[in-house]
Amino acid sequence: MSAGAETQSVSKAFVSVVTALGDDELIIGHRHSEWTGFAPHIEEDVAFSSIAQDEIGHAAAYYSLIARLTEDDADRIALGRSRAEYRHAIVCEMANGDWARTLARHWLYDHADAIRLESLEDSSNKGLAQLVAKIRREERYHLIHADTWISRVAHGPVEGRSKLTHAVTEMFWSAAALFEPFEDEDLAGAEDLLPVTSPKLQERFVAQTTATLDELGMPASVIRTGADETAEFVASSSGDLIASGNDSDSGASAAASGGGRKGRHTSDFESLWDDLTYTYRNNPGATW
Amino acid sequence: MTYDDKLTRFTSHIEEGGKVEAEDWMPEDYRRGVLKFIEMHANSEIMGALPERECLPRAPSLQRKMSLAAKIQDEVGHSQLLYRVAEDLGKSRDNMYADLVTGHSKFHNVFHYPVYHWGDVGLIGWLIDGAALVTQAALRDSSYAPYTRVLKRICSEEQLHLRHGEDITLEMASGTNQQRAMFQDALDRWWLAIIHFFGPRSKPDKDLLLRWKVKTRTNEDLRQEFLDRYVPKVLELGFTLPTPVPHHDHESGHWLVRDEDIDWAPLDAIKRNEGPETARRLKLRREMYDGHRWVRDSMAEPAVHTA
Amino acid sequence: MEVFEVFRRSGHKDPFEHVGAVIAPDSEMALLMAKECFVRRREGQHLWVTRRSDIHSFQDESLLEIAADKSYRFAQAYRDVVKKRDRARSRAQELDS
Repeated sequence: MSAGAETQSVSKAFVSVVTALGDDELIIGHRHSEWTGFAPHIEEDVAFSSIAQDEIGHAAAYYSLIARLTEDDADRIALGRSRAEYRHAIVCEMANGDWARTLARHWLYDHADAIRLESLEDSSNKGLAQLVAKIRREERYHLIHADTWISRVAHGPVEGRSKLTHAVTEMFWSAAALFEPFEDEDLAGAEDLLPVTSPKLQERFVAQTTATLDELGMPASVIRTGADETAEFVASSSGDLIASGNDSDSGASAAASGGGRKGRHTSDFESLWDDLTYTYRNNPGATW
Repeated sequence: MTYDDKLTRFTSHIEEGGKVEAEDWMPEDYRRGVLKFIEMHANSEIMGALPERECLPRAPSLQRKMSLAAKIQDEVGHSQLLYRVAEDLGKSRDNMYADLVTGHSKFHNVFHYPVYHWGDVGLIGWLIDGAALVTQAALRDSSYAPYTRVLKRICSEEQLHLRHGEDITLEMASGTNQQRAMFQDALDRWWLAIIHFFGPRSKPDKDLLLRWKVKTRTNEDLRQEFLDRYVPKVLELGFTLPTPVPHHDHESGHWLVRDEDIDWAPLDAIKRNEGPETARRLKLRREMYDGHRWVRDSMAEPAVHTA
Repeated sequence: MEVFEVFRRSGHKDPFEHVGAVIAPDSEMALLMAKECFVRRREGQHLWVTRRSDIHSFQDESLLEIAADKSYRFAQAYRDVVKKRDRARSRAQELDS
């Protein structure tokens, strides 16, 4: 350990939780960064790129927190693990889709993140608590940005509104799976690393976001009916959701959208991981 | 005052080194010429984002991932600044963007080529941004004042990009054999395109932009400045330059490239928007643009705020 | 959508300066975009945006020229202060003797 390091030993729970936090940020930052040069409005391209860079920066900070205590390297953690070792929630790895899906994910993710960061500021781990306080300062802009866009599109012409409503509904439970318990969550709770349990935070997330969706006129009743809803929903011409009556398997069930915290990922992550780790993996020992 | 009188006065003004603002009277060919020139520059910045963003997913470290994203962000920011200047000359940004994605307007040759690996990132950031900086620094003397004002910020950011590109290159040059091979591979593919970047020999009598001092230096002059500055730097790192191979002229001290060694055919194809990646990249932009009309519609009016 | 001109100020010494413009649907979005377009390197601590249509100028800027002598508004008009101080001191010495 480096001179002056805290004598606080590195717990398994600490590594599990902070790795997962870093992975969420890295993977969603990677997805956001795919819009650089491509966003639908030039000034927004510039703004959204900052958000992507911020998330990657947060990931770097989380990984560094671990690396310092385990004599590891942040880049090795970020780019040197096998696919199954990543612990991000599946919602982060999903392909971007169009701007409606991107906005929906950005809004859902940043609100989920805000809820967990608020609680983590009271973590028993001082290093983590301090880092979280810093991250929250940057996240204020992300929230304002997401809220402003969601509000604008929700109140705007019907095409945008219905695309957004559809996207939010489709992704909602995947986003809620950000609160799927961490590996070693029991240990984390016992150490007071996590002042509030993940299921409790998920309740807050669902309550807050569905309330906002109602206020925005994007009725969230269909979301509330639950995780095992498998009916397909389509947007009506007014932008409201109506069940199409199909029993297709495209519903956003929690079972399909969870598993990330245990290293179970979708095919979207296969190509993402390939790219993310490619140069690093193919040049072992090289410095860049 | 007659048109001819105004034209005479304007011409003297330019010849004496005078500057032009957006609201000033200007002859039609000046307005059209400078608009087209700035539009092409803006187009190039936004198209330039495409090859570089293709390298972003495979960035080899967290720092490089962020710094490359920041660099591309700057380029998009440059296009934003330049489109704004061009708009004030009488063409809307929507129209300029539509002309770009439908292939009706042009962008710099270097952005029509594919990228393959991190070696391209070092090369683009160092030598291509280096070439751009040579031309952009010279344009700060342009007669069109609004252009020179945004170029001040653009050049200072390009300076940063240059240092970033050089930093990446030096790491590779000092690294493993594989890393050095990556940079050499990029150099082998990009060198001719960099020579083309400055354009063929200028024809001052026929060049409207030179006459009106929108540009103040010839293409070959700028290319020579680039060669003199960068060839020694590349060679001292132990890399080799492909055709057209520069040789050192001891009398003049210049690094010279023979005209007969330059194959202009690839540039001619690009001028017809037929470069290796032109169609694919424009198609991508067009699809993004067409598919997101709803976003522009959502942005068209002030937000409706519920009580 | 319209053009919003962007101004920023850093610290206390200098006033706001014009740094460019963004195209946005309203001032709320204009501020968010201006933040990243013009202050992402912390070039300022304060940011303003205003609709271009709210910015006014004279049609004929030659109105700003100074036609007649207004030298009394400039420090140059008082360049002979050294001579005048000498003269006043001599006069004072005259009175003393």
